[in-house]
Amino acid sequence: MKKLFFIVALLGCALVYLQQQSYADKIAHKEYAKMEIKECNACHKGEGIAPNHDTDFIRGHRVLASKAGNNCKQCHEQKWCLDCHQGGGTGDDLARENFGRDYKPKSHRSDFISLHPLKAQDNPQQCYRCHDAKAFCNSCHSRFPKGSLRIKSHLMLGESHQTTSWAIGEHSTEARRNLQSCQTCHPEGDVCIKCHSSGKTRPHPRGWKAGNLKDRSNGKVCQKCHLPGTY
Amino acid sequence: MGIKWILRTLACIPLLTTTTAWSAEVHGRSSTQFQWYNDIFTEKKVAEFGEYLNLSITKIDKDEKFTIQGYGRATQDVRNGEGLNGRLYYLYADYRDLYDKVDLRFGRQFINYAAGSALVDGGQIELKKVGPVAFSVMGGRNVFFDLNGEATRAHDFVFGAAAYLMGFQKTDAELSYFMKFDKDGIARDQLGASFKQYLFNSVKVYGNTRYDMPSETFSEVLAGVKYFPTADLVFTGEWYQSYPIFDSTSIYSVFAVNRYQEGVFRADYTLNDKISINAGYSKQDYGEGADADVFEVGCRIRPVEHIQLNLNYDRRSGYGGKLNGGIAEITYEPIKPLELATGIHFDVYERDRVTGEETARKYWAGAKYKLTQNMSASVRIEDDVNARFKSDWQGRAVFNYDF
Repeated sequence: MKKLFFIVALLGCALVYLQQQSYADKIAHKEYAKMEIKECNACHKGEGIAPNHDTDFIRGHRVLASKAGNNCKQCHEQKWCLDCHQGGGTGDDLARENFGRDYKPKSHRSDFISLHPLKAQDNPQQCYRCHDAKAFCNSCHSRFPKGSLRIKSHLMLGESHQTTSWAIGEHSTEARRNLQSCQTCHPEGDVCIKCHSSGKTRPHPRGWKAGNLKDRSNGKVCQKCHLPGTY
Repeated sequence: MGIKWILRTLACIPLLTTTTAWSAEVHGRSSTQFQWYNDIFTEKKVAEFGEYLNLSITKIDKDEKFTIQGYGRATQDVRNGEGLNGRLYYLYADYRDLYDKVDLRFGRQFINYAAGSALVDGGQIELKKVGPVAFSVMGGRNVFFDLNGEATRAHDFVFGAAAYLMGFQKTDAELSYFMKFDKDGIARDQLGASFKQYLFNSVKVYGNTRYDMPSETFSEVLAGVKYFPTADLVFTGEWYQSYPIFDSTSIYSVFAVNRYQEGVFRADYTLNDKISINAGYSKQDYGEGADADVFEVGCRIRPVEHIQLNLNYDRRSGYGGKLNGGIAEITYEPIKPLELATGIHFDVYERDRVTGEETARKYWAGAKYKLTQNMSASVRIEDDVNARFKSDWQGRAVFNYDF
């Protein structure tokens, strides 16, 4: 009982402290919007706040733009974010290039169609912050003629060049490292199910929590491989 | 909501003047563009006119709490007869400080929580100034695009909620929840957290994470520290890990996957008004003995007042292939209203040992002239020389009118 009282008292004190500390609103930045970044940095340093619009901004702005402490909108409209995240562009920045009708972020340089398999390896999650894996990637990837991909796991081997290397084991390692790239060409996973369906090679990880997925998809995912009532 | 409705709305908005009959103010930018490019889908040259419209309607009510924000485009192909194409990036009504505690935003908008982000046709409500913690809820139709346009289907919805600290100068923290539905059920069910703390006037520690509830996995974890001994020098060290996560309604959600890890160290230094430099290194680990190293350096030089040179170079080697290349750009303002710029992108890459080395180059040049205080015109052209094209010219001509 004493312990409980102590914890409640501690929490109460913490809440009172937080209450007292709050309402000290952060400095409004709207009037500083047109200042040089150098001047911003000097003020930030004086306040003990790290300079944040440096050359690392594109890579690092994700934490800055999170809900807490986010004051982006004091200087930027949503347009400023969406020109990179969803496309757009009103031609002001000459260095910005277009992909068709929309601006392309600077990270997508030179021949990005050829370069993107390489660039996508640098933190594989970053592509999906702007692009829907199935809708966007599959728009192009679904059009590749079968056997035309020049990636190692899909190249033809053997004297007659009729055996694909995925059949002899290369694909499993590749798939574990970058399964999202499989989805870009095989959105429904039909090619996977040929070997990984019930009774064949088990695809699930160790400690597999089947119930979580079953509940959320009403068993539809499970039934792609298993008969109803057998999983 | 049909595309025709969007296009009609966009077409009518420029007719509004800066001051309307009900004393509201309409400001924004009309960008009329002519673009020509190679459509990778049809492999045809496309030439089309486009109207990009960004507007903000303010002073609608006496207290100036209510605003309307919009941004969209409509394009008309004039070469292949493929007709109108449009995209509404956002269009929302924003009411701030209702009872001094509630912000309301309804319409198409971009919403970002630590647990997930989405472009939403719906609403967001924020409750603030009720203590040290503020709250946000959001929900609506999940809008996403493929190469041609909107790819949202029936049953694509998102919902989310967040609680975050408010009013602390040196501490930020957020806890949030994000849920996505598609036709087969609950596609994503995620928790997220984000944290920033400034210490000793020269250190920032921060973190960000997402927890995927169906797989019971921390799908992303980021932990970082920035040390800034002066206003001009910042050192960054970060560790990041992720697992590929799929919609619970996708067959891919049942497969075993590897953890990706990344360690980053970088430094950004502004020497003086004329020179700033940056350098970084990241070590990437893909599991099962596969890794890669990425080095990057860059600088910004302003030798004289009206010239700026930007140089960036990076070199990657290891799993996935090699990349060696960068960007060089120069901007020159010979007279006040005129800006000239040119640049080159150059990359030598080898995606797989069996495919060999290839080179990609992009040469571009552009000019912008400010005709009056609220009108400007610009032209940008580029030529791509790479494994796919011996020469591929594309560009844009733009007339911007700020109202």
